[in-house]
This record gives sequence, C-alpha cells and structure tokens, in this order.
Amino acid sequence: MNPVNIPNVKIAVIDDDLTVRDFVVTVLMYCVNRDVLSFDSGSAAWRYIEDYESPDIIISEIDVPGLNGFELMAKFKEKSPGKKCLLMSDNPANEQPARHSGADAFLAKPVSVNDLFRVVQTFVVRD
Amino acid sequence: MIKLGPASVRMRAMSDDDIFSSRLKLLIIMAKAYLSDCPLGNYRKKAIIENANHVFYHSLHLVSVSSTLKDKGFEPQTEIVSKKKTSEEHLLHQRVQLLAVMAKALAEDRLRGHFRKKALTDNLNKICETLIFKFQIRDVNFLKVA
Repeated sequence: MNPVNIPNVKIAVIDDDLTVRDFVVTVLMYCVNRDVLSFDSGSAAWRYIEDYESPDIIISEIDVPGLNGFELMAKFKEKSPGKKCLLMSDNPANEQPARHSGADAFLAKPVSVNDLFRVVQTFVVRD
Repeated sequence: MIKLGPASVRMRAMSDDDIFSSRLKLLIIMAKAYLSDCPLGNYRKKAIIENANHVFYHSLHLVSVSSTLKDKGFEPQTEIVSKKKTSEEHLLHQRVQLLAVMAKALAEDRLRGHFRKKALTDNLNKICETLIFKFQIRDVNFLKVA
C-alpha cells in the first residue's frame, strides 16, 4: 500500500441512520481533530461535492436515499480519481459488488470503534 | 480493497445497544488518552462532549426503563438476573454516568488536580474491570498528535 499522510484531512460520512452517522462522525472527529462532514443522502453529499471542494475520503452507507453508495462513489471517483471511497453495509451481498466497483474499503456493520481507528490508521496517518 | 468489521455471517444492522456499547468504549479510550497526556484540540474536545452527552443520556434512559418496568411489576426472574447482578448493573450505570460527567469536565478544562485525575483513573479501572475491557494507548499512536 502507498504511504499516506493527509494533513488537514477532510472526511465526509453519508448514512441515513442518524445514530450510526453521528457515531461514525464522533469517532473520526476525535481521531483526526478536524471537522467531519455529514450527509443523510447520496444526493445531498454529491451536491456538496459538486459545489465545493471534494473531501479526501468519503465513507458512505450503500443503501442511502437519492444516489446510492455505488452511484455516489462512481461520480466521486470520476471527479476526484486519487481520493478514497469506503462503503459501509449490513448486507453481505454488497461486499463483492463493492470490490468490483473499485471501493477502497468495505466496512461491514456493525462498525466498531477499532474498525474506524483502522480506517484512520490506513487512510489518513499511515507512513 | 480492504474489508473491516465482522465476518459476513455476523453482519447486521446496528442496534441502539451496539451504538451505546461502542460509544462507551470510545469514552473510555478518550479518558485513557487524556490520562496518557495525548493532546486535545478543539474538535477532539467537541467530540468528547458530544460522546459524553450521548453516553450519559442513554445510560440514564436504560436505568429509567429498567425502573419503569419494575414499577409496573415486571421484576426480572431470579434465575435469570439475580438481585446482586441487578445491583451491579445499577452501580455500573452510575459509574458510566460519572465517567461521562468527568469526560465533559476534562474537555472543558475543568478536570484539574491530582485527586480529580486519580478519581477518573479509579472510575475507569472499575468500569474496565466490570466490562473486561482492555485497551492500550500504544495501539493508536495517531492520538498522540492533535
């Protein structure tokens, strides 16, 4: 894996389940000591990405309203090829499609604190 | 692509209990990181306060649901939950709520002095003994940088 060390990393979390989304945001905000963007739908996230600067990393639930995780990732990767997209799901059937569609990581739910620490270790501070 | 999280057969939607236990674990890590002199930036402080609030109110809710059930005559069956266990759970929730208050205090720079830090350490140790929770700050070196 290539060395990674992103200063002032910008992360976006997309999930329509507020309790899960808030939990993921809290862990990541604590780890990176930066604000973390959060959206309840793929379309809201994409509107932000189109209008403003792309985040360095997006972490999206696959089954979200508007654009689903796969559709959001395709648009995001087309706009910002070097940036990372991590997909989350509680459905095992989504793992292989995530792999084939070019996701950088697949986060199986229930997501733990350690899993999110590994996300930071792997995609933000690994050097 | 890397895969994180449970094996396929154990994948499922996250319940309120999953969120509570994960947030409690995070709160313990936050407190241990503070005691290990990991630096606190503004967003870390914000994350600690948000997490402490979630844990505090969820724990309060769990205690009130349990006492409401008792008030309505739903006593736990003695062979399933002994009175001793119920009392231990109550005590654990009181310690968890205290931890949440302490975590908020540390994020607001109000947890100063040797004895307050000792009280935090003692409370953490008791909670970790009950939950059999093991964690080393060296496992997450990135917390040493804010």
